[in-house]
Amino acid sequence: MNILSIIIFLPIITAVLLFFVRIPIRLIKIVYMMVTSMIALLTLKLYISFEHHASIQFEEMHRWISEYGINYHIGVDGVSLGIVVMNAILMPLVAIALYKQRDKRGYWINLLFVQGGIMGVALSLDLMLFYLFWEIMLLPIFLMIGLFGYGNKNFITMKFNIYTIFGSLMMLISILYIAVQYKLQFGVYTFDLDKLQNLVLDSTQSILVFSGFMIAFAIKIPIFPFHTWLIDTYRSAPTGAVVVMSALMAKLGAYAIWRVLFTLLDKTSHELASYFITIGLFGLIYFGISAMNQTHLKNLFALSSASHLSLIVVGFFIYDVYGLIGSSYLIVAHAISSAALFMMAAMLYERTKTYDISSLGGIAAVAPRFSIFFTLFALSIVGVPMTAGFVAEVLIVLGAFHYNIYIGFMTATTLLIAMLFMFKMISQVLYGKASKATENFEDLRMHELMALIPLALLVLAMGIFPNYFIQKIEPTALSYTVEKEVSYHE
Amino acid sequence: MSNALIALAVPGLLLFSALFILLFGFSAYYSKNRGYYITLITLFITFCISVNGVGDIHSAELLPQLFNAMVIYDTFSATFISLFLLGGFLSLAIAKSFIDQTNFFTHESFVLFLFSLFGMVVLTMANELLTAFIALEIASMAVYVLVGLNKESLRASEAFFKYLLLGSFSASFYLLGMMLIYAQAKSTHLNVIAAYIFNHDLNSQLLIIAGGMLIIITIMFKIAALPFGAWVLDVYEGASLPITAYMATVFKIAVFAFTIRVFLKNNDLIQLVFDPLVVIGAIITMIGGSLLAVIQNSVKKMLAASSVVHSGYLLIALASIEDADSSASSAIIFYLFAYFISAIGAFGVLSYISKGTDKHISFDDLNGLGKNTPIIAVSLTIFMLSLAGFPSTIGFIGKFYIFTSAIESGYTMLALLGAITAFISIYYYFKVIVHLYFKESAYVKVEYGYRVSLGFIIISAFIVLWGGVGTSLIFNIPGINELNELSKHAIRSLAF
Repeated sequence: MNILSIIIFLPIITAVLLFFVRIPIRLIKIVYMMVTSMIALLTLKLYISFEHHASIQFEEMHRWISEYGINYHIGVDGVSLGIVVMNAILMPLVAIALYKQRDKRGYWINLLFVQGGIMGVALSLDLMLFYLFWEIMLLPIFLMIGLFGYGNKNFITMKFNIYTIFGSLMMLISILYIAVQYKLQFGVYTFDLDKLQNLVLDSTQSILVFSGFMIAFAIKIPIFPFHTWLIDTYRSAPTGAVVVMSALMAKLGAYAIWRVLFTLLDKTSHELASYFITIGLFGLIYFGISAMNQTHLKNLFALSSASHLSLIVVGFFIYDVYGLIGSSYLIVAHAISSAALFMMAAMLYERTKTYDISSLGGIAAVAPRFSIFFTLFALSIVGVPMTAGFVAEVLIVLGAFHYNIYIGFMTATTLLIAMLFMFKMISQVLYGKASKATENFEDLRMHELMALIPLALLVLAMGIFPNYFIQKIEPTALSYTVEKEVSYHE
Repeated sequence: MSNALIALAVPGLLLFSALFILLFGFSAYYSKNRGYYITLITLFITFCISVNGVGDIHSAELLPQLFNAMVIYDTFSATFISLFLLGGFLSLAIAKSFIDQTNFFTHESFVLFLFSLFGMVVLTMANELLTAFIALEIASMAVYVLVGLNKESLRASEAFFKYLLLGSFSASFYLLGMMLIYAQAKSTHLNVIAAYIFNHDLNSQLLIIAGGMLIIITIMFKIAALPFGAWVLDVYEGASLPITAYMATVFKIAVFAFTIRVFLKNNDLIQLVFDPLVVIGAIITMIGGSLLAVIQNSVKKMLAASSVVHSGYLLIALASIEDADSSASSAIIFYLFAYFISAIGAFGVLSYISKGTDKHISFDDLNGLGKNTPIIAVSLTIFMLSLAGFPSTIGFIGKFYIFTSAIESGYTMLALLGAITAFISIYYYFKVIVHLYFKESAYVKVEYGYRVSLGFIIISAFIVLWGGVGTSLIFNIPGINELNELSKHAIRSLAF
């Protein structure tokens, strides 16, 4: 069996088995740790043996539904590698950080399930398989918010679910439509991304198909104006689910633009690129400004996440090799820091029982370790030099300047805006006078440190030695820009 | 076993068992359990026999001298017969707990059950309008009585009366349509009518067109497609749960079997004249059914209303049939299987947890089931996901086939509407899941007993999952491919 299949199915099968076995919660946590660590090790092996010079590797293909040409076809390239590695690293760390907080079986079983689902989406090279995993990874999140969420959770999880599935169904129709068109042109059905590239669609068709896909991805990311589920959901969701959603699932939306739209509808994506750059830039500024006015910590992180995801979209659509590399770098960099920040927010809540920014303050004085880590991850989000965020954002801004000087200026404002809301938040939360809630703030415990140190090291490593990481992405990015002769702004 | 023998043995055995129970029902040796097991074993044996006719492509008129070529046995009918014998078996097996805990399942009910299956078996083999009518009425009559089985329940009696009245009324349309067709084509034999339509100018066939329209009305009534499906909510609500499951799945399959045969035989005419009708029917059915389903408070009524929506999906595929080779017709068979296994499971869970009582199961009654009885809750969740068309369940593959065939035939907008309806259905199916897991309730350990019923519910749930992801590459168990191949064979035998 291929290593990728193990990465996808080991967590899913374990989750199903754990559901049927009645064992104490302590054992479930141990099994969870064992499985996720094993996945992490396998992924590490995958990362090291990933060749620098090739695009898609470790391919595996089996026939599944032969009449419709649906195959079990998986493989990894430079961009999906980032998501896979992030997924593998974050899952055990989430468990380490939260291991005292959650004593429900469903929590860990769902997390395992969602890990498999996300791996599946990132690695699928067949559209039906992609769709299958795309939907499957939604279910555990739906259950987690409903079971362990806060506030009006039933309504919120239903809203999130319905919102997302609407997008998915539009994508389904698009998938079926291109498959049927392929059959009309070539005589057989196929859902394989490689083969579907040969398809020729006229401009109306391709715009319709494009929008079908784009609705699904835009809702998942989310980009303006499909963001209305975002704040509620992030606020209501338990920490594990938020980490998964902001650090991984949202990134998958951006990744899917690359994987599906840039592969299949290259020309249309070019034609429509300027619209999405505009929407992305608007979202970047709009979400950033909204973030400044938030008093709820999770809302602020949600909006800051949305703002950076818009930046990723901009980076993709400017179709410049710097932009592509920058965006895929930001996918990873932002995943680390946003996951860490959401975890730290949960630790903060555990100690102070509040997310309200105005009732916090003075933590730096009582809990220096907490403050250092908190600041580091916040700075990485802002994009301060030496952190991972800086490299990514500079690359995107560079690409944007290549594209158009005004777009470049607009994109550069992201640094400014992020700085405004993050520094404001930091000054209110960490500095100032200690409030009633933060008087007896306990500094990071051992297991929390164990969860955060690897992430912090990664942020620094990615900020200081970007070359090692970029060389894995570069061939893939080049294959999208050079081979297809899309760099039209020499 | 030769095919003719199978074709005779299956209805013969059904009739024999029915008469046997009828004869000995009043004797001292009869008990409800014995009647139940005789029925169950009959269904199992007939299923095992009829499965032998599935697989290879064959088609032959059954005893042409005796039946005057009115009955035909081909892979198509073999597939359908196996399908609803399995359906009858499963719905009865799951209903074990319900039947035991109620007192209105007398020996007549098993007789009626077998009679209705006999009617359906003949219906799928009928190659002539009159035979089909008689078979349809045999099945319907039995089902009418089954609906009103619980004489003490006012709602059941109301449902029975309503269904009987409307059903007979709609059957008269069929008679009239058949008469009109006979007046012009001078035959009620499907092959002769098809030949007549093929050889004559379309403009001269007004009577056939009018007759066909009337027959379509009856079909729409029987499969509960709107605007002729107004009876469905009250009748499904009034009937006891196993009967509702039986009507919503098995009976619908039988009607569709006949419909596909008629449609494929007279394809040209139907494409030209009746397709718009079916399309409009599909649109109204999907939208109306969704609206009905969204507003329901009782789970049973919601499932009833959503079965209307599923008829709408099937109508999409019916409209997309272009010729015997098109994927639409095999998509219908696959979807029928997908729907029947999921719906039987869903209704089965309801009948299992209702413990034989007549009360409404509202959404709130499901609260806490996820905590108290996880296995039942998971099974119900799987059935709901399948009905909603969530990937990795058989319901998704069914929808996938139907939408693909619709797009292939140029009905992209219809497929889009289908997707939107599926989107609405997420709301009411996921509502069940929300109530199962997320609503607070006290921990009450309820002992349901009846491991047989539970076992078959779990088996159905596994079939639903396996039908969604299964492949013969793993464990060498027949998966999606093989199911698909079966339905292809069935359709090909029609043109054989």
